[in-house]
Amino acid sequence: MRIVVGMKWVPGTTSVRIDPKTGTLIREGVPSIVNPHDMPAVELALQLKDAYGGEVIALTMSPPPAIRGLEYLIGMGVDRAILVSDRVYAGADTLATSYVLAKAIEKIDKEIGKVDLAIFGQETIDSSTAHIGAQTASWLDWPYIYYAHSVKLIDNNKVLVERVLENAIEDWEVEMPAVIGTHMKALKPRPVRLINKIRYKVEKPIVTWTNNEMKLDPRCTGLKGSPTIVAKTVDVPEVPRKKIVYKPKDGEDAAKWLIKTLLEDEKASKAIIKALKEGGGK
Amino acid sequence: MSSEPKKDCNICPEWDCQNVNDFKNVWVVGEVDENGISEPSLQMLTPANKIASKLNTKIVGLLVGYNVKKYAKEFIEYGADEVIVLDDERLSMYSPHIYARTIAELAKKYKPAVIFISATMKGRELGPYVANTLRAGITADCTDFDVDEKTKDVLLIRPPFGAVLLAYIKTPTRRPQIGTARPNVFKLPPRDPNRNGEIIEEKIDYIPKPKARLVSRKLLPINEVPIEKADLIVSGGKGLGNVEGFKLLEELASKMNAAVAGSRKAVDMGWIPHEKQVGQTGKSVKPILYLAVGISGAAQHMFGIREAEVVVAINNDPNAPIFSQADYGIVADYKQVIPALIKEIESLKKQL
Ligand SMILES: Cc1cc2nc3c(=O)[nH]c(=O)nc-3n(C[C@H](O)[C@H](O)[C@H](O)COP(=O)(O)OP(=O)(O)OC[C@H]3O[C@@H](n4cnc5c(N)ncnc54)[C@H](O)[C@@H]3O)c2cc1C
Ligand SMILES: Cc1cc2nc3c(=O)[nH]c(=O)nc-3n(C[C@H](O)[C@H](O)[C@H](O)COP(=O)(O)OP(=O)(O)OC[C@H]3O[C@@H](n4cnc5c(N)ncnc54)[C@H](O)[C@@H]3O)c2cc1C
Repeated sequence: MRIVVGMKWVPGTTSVRIDPKTGTLIREGVPSIVNPHDMPAVELALQLKDAYGGEVIALTMSPPPAIRGLEYLIGMGVDRAILVSDRVYAGADTLATSYVLAKAIEKIDKEIGKVDLAIFGQETIDSSTAHIGAQTASWLDWPYIYYAHSVKLIDNNKVLVERVLENAIEDWEVEMPAVIGTHMKALKPRPVRLINKIRYKVEKPIVTWTNNEMKLDPRCTGLKGSPTIVAKTVDVPEVPRKKIVYKPKDGEDAAKWLIKTLLEDEKASKAIIKALKEGGGK
Repeated sequence: MSSEPKKDCNICPEWDCQNVNDFKNVWVVGEVDENGISEPSLQMLTPANKIASKLNTKIVGLLVGYNVKKYAKEFIEYGADEVIVLDDERLSMYSPHIYARTIAELAKKYKPAVIFISATMKGRELGPYVANTLRAGITADCTDFDVDEKTKDVLLIRPPFGAVLLAYIKTPTRRPQIGTARPNVFKLPPRDPNRNGEIIEEKIDYIPKPKARLVSRKLLPINEVPIEKADLIVSGGKGLGNVEGFKLLEELASKMNAAVAGSRKAVDMGWIPHEKQVGQTGKSVKPILYLAVGISGAAQHMFGIREAEVVVAINNDPNAPIFSQADYGIVADYKQVIPALIKEIESLKKQL
């Protein structure tokens, strides 16, 4: 099986800072990481390779610093990696991003060997649209199956995919080639192994494809190939809250104060009394 | 079905040339399951109503599937002016690939200006596929929609990175303008059995064979109120320290008839399931009372409780950011407060 797995190199932070002058996000000084939700996708690809043989190719469209992320995935056991990088890809929305990724997958298919699966993460932590998997499938005209938990080969050109939705567990028979989006909780990623790190140092199994290699019409990529534009950004308005803080003597004091306070609060007291009357405490 | 696109405009040759003025109406895609049109897709009629009246255009419900025609009237009663039905036995099995292509075909014929799709798990897989097939833009997980008064472009408003900035996204040169919103971000509009509207039955010649086939489906029992609908929520964070802490919260919640929820860190620790996560990448809740226990108050968490009426925080760190974002705060160890609170609730109940 030849499996392509998508990776996005994202700012790895939970506390963003805003430039007070421009009102935009400050990304400098924020170290980047492999998008955490890509890890189950990488792990799934590696497990399929362990079970059925073949190779796993990591793919990212990104400025060159993402090579560090690709290096990490090779450390986990990915066979090789492709960085697709060019100025004409900058400013892409998800339509233009998926276009370049789909074209890269076609190029892999033609020049390296037949691709059976492309696996993506559930979503990214920076813009988390969860579009890329479905859109890449649409460009390729491959079937797409999202929220996958496990994948098994059932014959030479079909996989059985188990996925978990809000209210159901489903099994799907999917013809290959196909695009799979993994559930963020599907699998725990394996650690980086020294032997793979050494392999990285010796073999450097990463190539960069610029638009000289990709040969895409620049009107289909980057800002030009992106129908969506960010018209403006505004601060999320602060919600007005009472901000009354109490330092109790002990737990009982705290509980008494809270009940008293809530019963004096018109909105809260109605809801609490209604709930208590409806019977809690089964 | 669609006429041959002109190729004389200077855009990506993969796209067809468009005149944005040819596009009108606001579509709402109806997701149909075992129980009829899903509530989240009916909720999308609420923003559709706002946008349609600002654009002075109609709301059109879309029903694609097999045996779905019977739901058309319900769509109208909830607010659609018109319903396009594509009822076809070949669509008896849901397949995102086939459904998306079918919806895209209909959109090419009818040229809607706007398409709203609920970001249920199925909608999140379908929406981008529809958008791409149309070479249109799509904006994910919007929390509001508006119209640019000057250009009449729809503004699709979404919380971006860090939940501290709202991004206003538009697609000025492409139609349809496609947006999704998570379930329960918008309220279900009232149902009016006296509303009437036109039902248009559509046919489609070619439906490709699905390349993915559902072979088994086990329904998961859902007997609890989803947190998005609860009036009272008791929510726990990393500060609970262990799963026993959650047991204590569950006890309190059951005494109060409240739902239990948690922060992402609590979910990551495996103390509660992901569907109970509150916040930017979890759920937006609108309870009357939100009791946050051992939660620090990160922006991504607080984004999910913007519409809570009353927020109470219990945290042992007086400098925890949540205190400046709560109505009532208690600086204390939860292990002392919660058992005492359970007792107080019990005695209050006896007095009622
Ligand atoms: C604040 C903000 C809001 C945005 N909102 C929108 C929007 O609503 N609509 C829109 O069209 N664009 C939007 N964008 C642009 C969008 O972030 C980019 O197009 C981005 O490159 C891909 O989207 P994503 O990060 O949401 O990926 P997702 O679709 O969430 O990613 C799913 C998976 O796809 C793979 N993947 C994603 N990106 C890459 C990549 N570059 N290379 C390889 N694999 C990848 C990963 O496996 C990932 O887990 C937004 C950008 C910002 C900063
Ligand atoms: C893209 C992105 C999306 C995210 N989405 C979400 C989301 O949807 N939801 C979400 O919740 N988070 C989300 N996060 C994570 C978020 O940034 C925070 O990391 C998270 O909310 C913190 O969880 P917490 O408050 O439980 O833990 P912490 O921040 O670790 O806080 C624990 C608190 O417990 C208090 N505490 C400790 N012991 C006790 C005690 N004995 N009694 C009382 N209090 C005690 C501490 O003082 C502390 O304030 C997201 C992050 C990113 C980057």
